[in-house]
Amino acid sequence: MCFSNLLRLYKPPSTETNPTLEDPTPDYMNLLGMIFSMCGLMLKLKWCAWIAVYCSFISFANSRSSEDTKQMMSSFMLSISAVVMSYLQNPQPMSPPW
Amino acid sequence: MRSLRLFLIPTLLLLLALPVSRGRYNDDFDDGEDLADDNDFAEFEDMNDDPVAETETMPPPRVSFPSQVDDEEDEDEATVELEDGQDGFEDSETQDQDIFSKYDQEEFEGIGDMEKTIHSMKDPLIIHTVPAHLQNNWESYYMEILMVTGLLAYIMNYIIGKNKNSRLAHAWFNSHRELLESNFALVGDDGTSKEAVSTGKLNQENEHIYNLWCSGRVCCEGMLIQLKFLKRQDLLNVLARMMRPACDQVQIKVTLNDEDMDTFVFAVGTKKAMARLQKEMQDLSEFCGDKPKSGAKYGLPDSLAILSEMGEVTDGVMDNKMVHYITNHADKIESIHFSDQFSGPKIMQEEGQPLKLPETKKTLLFTFNVPGMGNTSPKDMDTLLPLMNMVIYSIDKVKKLRLNREGKQKADRNRARVEENFLKQTHAQRQEAAQTRREEKKRAEKERIMNEEDPERQRRLEEAAQRREQKKIEKKQMKMKQIKVKAM
Repeated sequence: MCFSNLLRLYKPPSTETNPTLEDPTPDYMNLLGMIFSMCGLMLKLKWCAWIAVYCSFISFANSRSSEDTKQMMSSFMLSISAVVMSYLQNPQPMSPPW
Repeated sequence: MRSLRLFLIPTLLLLLALPVSRGRYNDDFDDGEDLADDNDFAEFEDMNDDPVAETETMPPPRVSFPSQVDDEEDEDEATVELEDGQDGFEDSETQDQDIFSKYDQEEFEGIGDMEKTIHSMKDPLIIHTVPAHLQNNWESYYMEILMVTGLLAYIMNYIIGKNKNSRLAHAWFNSHRELLESNFALVGDDGTSKEAVSTGKLNQENEHIYNLWCSGRVCCEGMLIQLKFLKRQDLLNVLARMMRPACDQVQIKVTLNDEDMDTFVFAVGTKKAMARLQKEMQDLSEFCGDKPKSGAKYGLPDSLAILSEMGEVTDGVMDNKMVHYITNHADKIESIHFSDQFSGPKIMQEEGQPLKLPETKKTLLFTFNVPGMGNTSPKDMDTLLPLMNMVIYSIDKVKKLRLNREGKQKADRNRARVEENFLKQTHAQRQEAAQTRREEKKRAEKERIMNEEDPERQRRLEEAAQRREQKKIEKKQMKMKQIKVKAM
């Protein structure tokens, strides 16, 4: 029996019609990472910079394969640079909040 | 007098040199330096028997500060005899604790008392710690070490979690490959190639979601299988799951052609899932308005509930074999949803209702829970194979299931009712939309007339527009008259 007329090619579901089905975690974490990086750089807060590094890692872990790696890398580099700059400006170790 | 003066000058010089050579008063730095001074100025020692006051360079406080440690320094102290008329230096405000000489009890009063107070003042020595960044001490960077350790732990977890998910996915595919390849001509398609060629492998969407598209079978258009694993690669998720356990899921969506399914809506699954789906899904909320019924009536376990458009549908779907499948694997079944009006979850739009009915597709949806509650091993994937058999059986069953005349009529009435309700709700919005469209048209026409350069043509176009308007008004008036006549 010939199945060729029954064959249908795969069409990836459009995410615009169902935005609720998409996991927003990587996007939120990316944004959060950038905000913390900027805070760490501008306000010279070491803990902000460290949290930014964590956020970019979490965003990477949750990202989709189809997502642009450039975006991920830029967020990552920004957070690393925030950490490095904080320590160059003030080499003292970070004090715990308690 | 002259000899005295001769003696005074070197003594002054000596006293000037002493503070420079000695440095800050500190027991720690009390080394052999003073001994050297001793030897240099030893010749003056004998002459210093008389009680003296200190010179300008060492302004003395009113009291003496003899301490046992100072013995060496006291010896170095030169004594100076004051000339007549000169007072002893009394600026004791400086409170210089580096006093090296002992004051003669006969010459000075109240020294004994002050000694005690000075002792007590001297006792609490504050030794400041060296600032942390000047220390060559890694221990002070413990917060940073903690952070880096946390990052390393996250990376380790990412690698382990990713590998585990990958192994589970491939274990599932290996156990199901044979069944799928025997039922479908196309197993595995990533949507990039234009030709229908089986890739024969899973499509990785994420580190925790794998897709598989199968097509080329009678009775269905295609089948999309989604392996939705837990986010084992994200440490935060792993920690959250310790509080709230969850399990991996396999979601199967079979899309059917129009002739493959009759018109009905049906769902069976856990009570919680049924309650949730009834609220969330467009078709279940519209066509299955009654509360979920217990499955016990049809021989299913109590934990399962049924949502159905009508009783006939339930009787038709729940035949012996289906009941057998569901009963045996009740722990793995989250939900089974058959619908000819499937359009996904309800869409909440900001501007109110959408203007037209959402597109529907005849669909069978299956959601299965992988046993193990998160602690799944690749061997557990084999236990899902009977469920895939159930899916294939359901596809064939739904093709054969036809409602009788009454059922069909009821189903058609339901669908008409839903459509009418929808149109009523959106009537106002549709009217507004139509009005806006008409106004847009008029404006466009007017603009066209205005832009016309030739005045003759412009006038003719205007006249044509006016005539059209007049006709429309006349038509409306005619209609109103007709309605009035009918009403009468």
